[in-house]
Order: sequence, then structure tokens, then C-alpha cells
Amino acid sequence: MANKKLTLALYTGSVDKLTAAGVILGGAAAEDMDVEIYVLLQAAFAFKKENAMTNERVAEITDKQDEFLASLNRLNTPHWTEAFKTAKEMTNVKVHICGFAGKVWNGYKLDDFIDLADDICGIGEYITSAEEADVNLFI
Amino acid sequence: MTAEELVQVKVDKSVDARGTSCPGPLLAAKKAIGQIEKGQIMEVLSADEGTRRDIPKWCTKKGFEYLGTIEDSGYYKIILRK
Repeated sequence: MANKKLTLALYTGSVDKLTAAGVILGGAAAEDMDVEIYVLLQAAFAFKKENAMTNERVAEITDKQDEFLASLNRLNTPHWTEAFKTAKEMTNVKVHICGFAGKVWNGYKLDDFIDLADDICGIGEYITSAEEADVNLFI
Repeated sequence: MTAEELVQVKVDKSVDARGTSCPGPLLAAKKAIGQIEKGQIMEVLSADEGTRRDIPKWCTKKGFEYLGTIEDSGYYKIILRK
């Protein structure tokens, strides 16, 4: 039986939502789902090499940012890049950087982004992938 | 399987995931299941409440037999047969 497929439109560049995405990816990996991630606009900022490990922006409950980040640390929560990497090691995960999103943040080549990224693509690929997916999420 | 029988089950592999939060224990179980043979028994130690519910469902989806959960002091022993 073919693996089920999860397509994730990843728009966010904030560590709270990226961490949530990492948790969901872990669940998908545990179930051997095939995962296609499309890195859109703000997420492309977070995937830039110079930003991935230093970006601590949160999208929600911003007045509690310090408490949130401290809690992640206290709970031994892996950095979102680690969670994505673990998922890639455990199941078939492909990370596609939207070409337009990359350019918005001066990322023109695959090498401008962290190693999690597999290629640079157009939005048509996301639409096709979403059409075929069993689960389609926007974060 | 009764609670008394569950306590006496001989475990072939134990996975200690008490230091991790969801989905850490589930991923630890996924990694470890590949290291045992079909028919062997594995326990996952987890202090994560969500994992207590996730692993039985994961067993059903993946075709493993969930045998039960033992509550210990501050954590769970979740036992399954591959």
C-alpha cells in the first residue's frame, strides 16, 4: 500500500509556528507519510542560512516570547531545524523553496538556504502536490 | 491482557523517552521498532501524557499489537508487540 501524503504550505517565519510544524512533521514521520513542504514568503526568511539559528521571532502571544522560548528549552524541545531534519531521516520529506519567496529575501540559489532545502520551485508544483495529498496544511 | 499479566511480560527492548516531549517518544518508538523482530515485545517509557494516547493508535495503524500501559511514578510504560 502506498504511503499517505502530507502537503504543507509553510508560510510562517516565526519559531512558534515552525516548532508546531516540526511537531506535526514528527507525527507524519512516525506514520511513514510522504511529506512535501513548500516554503512560502516569510518561511523563506527563516530558511536562509544566516537566519535559521538566530531567528527568535514569534507570531503570537508576542509579549510572552521569552517565557515561550525558555519553556521550549526546559522541555528539551529540539530546534525546528532539528525536528525537520529528524523527520527527513525517518520518512520521505522534500522541502521546496518557492522561487519568488526566496527572491523576496535575496535568496536566489539553493545554496542560500539551509541544507534542509531540496530545491527551488514554482507554485504550480504546490498546487499539484496539494491536489494529490491526503492531508494539506497551511501554517 | 490483565494488569497483572502486563506487569509480568518479558520485554525484549526498552526505550527510555522520559526526557522528551511529544512527538519525541513516538519517534523513539518508531526508531526502535526497527531493531526488534516480529513477535518481540517493546516497552516505551514516557512521561508525556499525549504519547500515552498516541502509541496505541500508532500501533493500530502500523499493525502492531498494543498490549497495555502501566502507570509508574511520574511516567508510563507503554507495552506493545511487533
